[in-house]
Amino acid sequence: MATYQLKIAHLYGDLMNTYGDVGNILAMDYYAKQMDTDISTQLVSLGDHFDPNDFDIIFFGGGQDFEQTIVAQDLPSKADAITEFIEAGGPTLAICGGFQLLGQYYIGADGEKITGTKSMSHYTKNQKDHRFIGDTIIKDEQTGEVYHGFENHQGMTFLGDDEAPLGVVSEGAGNNGQDGTEGVHYKNVYGTYFHGPILTRNGDIAKHLLVEALKRKYPNQDFSAQANMEIPATF
Amino acid sequence: MSLRSGVATAVGKSSYWFLHTFMHGGSSLPGKLATRIDPELLKTLGKNYDVIVITGTNGKTLTTALTVRVLREKYADVLTNPTGSNMEQGIVGTFLHAKRSKTGRPLAVLEVDEANVIKVTQYIKPIAFVFTNIFRDQMDRYGEIYTTYKKIIDGVKLAPEATIIANGDAQLFNSVDLPNPKIFYGFNHQEQGDMMAPTNTDGILCPRCEHVLHYHFMTYGNLGDYFCPNCGFSRPALNYAVTKLGKMTPTASQFELDGAPYQIGIGGLYNIYNALAAYAVGRFLDVTPEQIRAAFTSDERVFGRQEVIHVGDKDVTLILIKNPVGVNQVIDMILTEPEPFSFVGLLNANYADGIDTSWIWDGEFEKLGAAGTGDNPQIKAFLTGGERYKDITFRLNVAGVADPSVEPDLTKIIAKIKQLPTQKVYVLATYTAVLQLRKQLANDGLIKEGMDA
Repeated sequence: MATYQLKIAHLYGDLMNTYGDVGNILAMDYYAKQMDTDISTQLVSLGDHFDPNDFDIIFFGGGQDFEQTIVAQDLPSKADAITEFIEAGGPTLAICGGFQLLGQYYIGADGEKITGTKSMSHYTKNQKDHRFIGDTIIKDEQTGEVYHGFENHQGMTFLGDDEAPLGVVSEGAGNNGQDGTEGVHYKNVYGTYFHGPILTRNGDIAKHLLVEALKRKYPNQDFSAQANMEIPATF
Repeated sequence: MSLRSGVATAVGKSSYWFLHTFMHGGSSLPGKLATRIDPELLKTLGKNYDVIVITGTNGKTLTTALTVRVLREKYADVLTNPTGSNMEQGIVGTFLHAKRSKTGRPLAVLEVDEANVIKVTQYIKPIAFVFTNIFRDQMDRYGEIYTTYKKIIDGVKLAPEATIIANGDAQLFNSVDLPNPKIFYGFNHQEQGDMMAPTNTDGILCPRCEHVLHYHFMTYGNLGDYFCPNCGFSRPALNYAVTKLGKMTPTASQFELDGAPYQIGIGGLYNIYNALAAYAVGRFLDVTPEQIRAAFTSDERVFGRQEVIHVGDKDVTLILIKNPVGVNQVIDMILTEPEPFSFVGLLNANYADGIDTSWIWDGEFEKLGAAGTGDNPQIKAFLTGGERYKDITFRLNVAGVADPSVEPDLTKIIAKIKQLPTQKVYVLATYTAVLQLRKQLANDGLIKEGMDA
């Protein structure tokens, strides 16, 4: 057994699991092992109670339209707890539909307005008969880190004034194809349209999530070795 | 035949002859030329046939080939389309170069791409549809499983009298009320328990009440004896069933259908579904169980996509992979290999492969990692390659294969395969990687060129 233990809440993992998003959990597990850390994952789905104090990381993947509407119906019962986790600095990774559902609302394929958890200020509109599909490259202007992904989405997301993008688009469409932003980085939340999956191609983001989670759970320990770990390029 | 259809047929036939004679191939161009002259040509060409349309995500090709084999035991004249010609123009081309039947009304067993079902039923009223399954495929092209099924249903609605012969273990095929007569096939080989699908499975919501489905047992993917504990929705009664599984290796499967023994010269649970579908069509058209049993073993070349190629002293099995459920079935199948073997993974991301490689993360490569570690591992060596060798290499790293050999250059893969430590080698490759490797193998004189050896 490793020295440290972290527990991931896999939000609606039985319904929100498109495009290899589960690879993000595999990647966190892979890098956690190199940090002397064991990862356990628990599915939190329809009708389940979510207690933010039970978990160190939230992972919320993307889903198909039908599944996403079912998830949205269950989400109000967990919305406050999710917001509490995020506001307290809980490390969170949200992909595609998960990213949309942590915001204010999104407009579905048939024009219906679907309410999110309202944990963050972004919102998502729908574009008719068009999807953003293809390889994407973005750059985090603060850290200089470059991230690679594959986007495949119909939604057009617009960030709020209190939200920074995960990166600035140098290839691909990003959040909405208009303002050059991709994803969101708010407190310790990483939201994105990247599949690929994002953490298997961009191990540095996995490292950030894990180190933040370790610091929160073990406040008296020194994790500078983990934070300085070199992540070799995988893409 | 109208004058227009006559001209169209003549143009189609002569261009087929030209392409076949001088260009060694070409099954979609004649159809393209002919339908440009007469867009309704399929109506004229198909009206003398009893047509069976086979569609679904996985298993179309082998189900079609096996069904043809089964039906030929009883019927003299069974037309089918060649592998890969499963869109409208390929189907027109198939009818164009069919020989005229001498024995009355012939059958046509057509593998049809999901989105092209409607392009067939606009002109032809089939006697039956066969639905194999619907899984996540290359989603950059086809979208969600519900969208895919809707495309099929849109086509089926134009032929309400055709019998639907569907995989009863797939809940999606029980989600829309259709007036057609229905026959269901599936598995009934296990005691009934109560379980839920693994987390990373799609299509598990009850179509009636939107609760998560349970299963009495599962076979693979989202297939099994499903039921909804909330509203009572459940699997329909099966007309034809696998009642027992016997010995399974990568090259042979033994099983019972409706209590009688059968075998096929190929491994993999998914191929038993294909055989079961062919059996159901055969029984529907009064082929006897004895004839079906004979058909399953009459010609092993029907399983051609999974041939064994001799490379030096190696027995190399080359297997096409294209989506998560498919690759998981292939992984389970190769792990039934009784001898130690080496694993080769070749990943490309061209249009025909799917340009998004994310799907490999839905594949259970961890099973390969587990089989490649320990004191005396079943898998002795791992080799990766293809244009996206970095993706497949890191997939194996995360699956517990610390240090696979990497060969980005596909022209050097054959040399690397010759150096592997085992006689048995399994190569899993995406579509264009299969084509590229086959070209290399053909250049080296190890196989004849082409996809359908």
